[in-house]
Amino acid sequence: MTSESISVIRIHDVLLVTMPPDPDDTSVTILQEKVLNAMERYRVKGLVLDISAVQTMDSFFARVVAETAQMVVLMGGKTVIAGMQPSVAITATQLGLTLGGALTALNADLALDMISDTFRRGR
Amino acid sequence: MSADAHGEIIIDKEIDIIVVRKTVRDVAAKLNFGITDVTRIVTAASELARNVFLYAGSGVMKWRVLNSSVAVGMELIFIDHGPGIADLEQVMHEGYSSSGGLGLGLPGSRRLMDELEITSQVGKGTTVTIKKWRRRYQ
Repeated sequence: MTSESISVIRIHDVLLVTMPPDPDDTSVTILQEKVLNAMERYRVKGLVLDISAVQTMDSFFARVVAETAQMVVLMGGKTVIAGMQPSVAITATQLGLTLGGALTALNADLALDMISDTFRRGR
Repeated sequence: MSADAHGEIIIDKEIDIIVVRKTVRDVAAKLNFGITDVTRIVTAASELARNVFLYAGSGVMKWRVLNSSVAVGMELIFIDHGPGIADLEQVMHEGYSSSGGLGLGLPGSRRLMDELEITSQVGKGTTVTIKKWRRRYQ
């Protein structure tokens, strides 16, 4: 079994990443680097991480997501985590996970709006 | 799934954590656990499988179906022959981590499951047993 490649897509001035249902540690770590490189290359406003397909979020995954969000902030962008399933939200809370300072949204649509709004207000 | 179904997964590569998750998800779903309980069991298994890989390098997860008169259950046993844990109270304490992790693995897994039992001997290894029950008649 090889690690799945997760693609980073640029739509206008936002990066969109759709997480697979069961990402392994290696692909999650590779993704972090890809996102930060794409942030620099495309000069985007932020990152939307669509986790609506994710079935399992353990402490490793949550740590990398929180770290990535923090790194995107350091580079001058925003991160919105979108679409967490109810069962994943219940489990993550009971496990004690937090996503650091990352913003959250019900779905990727609303997440895209949030990134635009944040910057519109900031102008 | 038969009442005495059981199996085991060798954990010695990072990708085996995914194999553990898939196996546990499959068994828990077949035992008719609800989606939230399936997620709880798979997440706890993922934490404990990663501990085995991270601290001991290798080990095994044994799973079996449990039956009582009123409930069906799932038992997962994680066995390694790694360095062991000197202070069990410390590792069950929130936020303690010797690997730079979040330190949520053991205390978090205990909250997700109905039962968690840990035995460890320094230099010999660690065994963690977790159980989740589902009442037969609601």
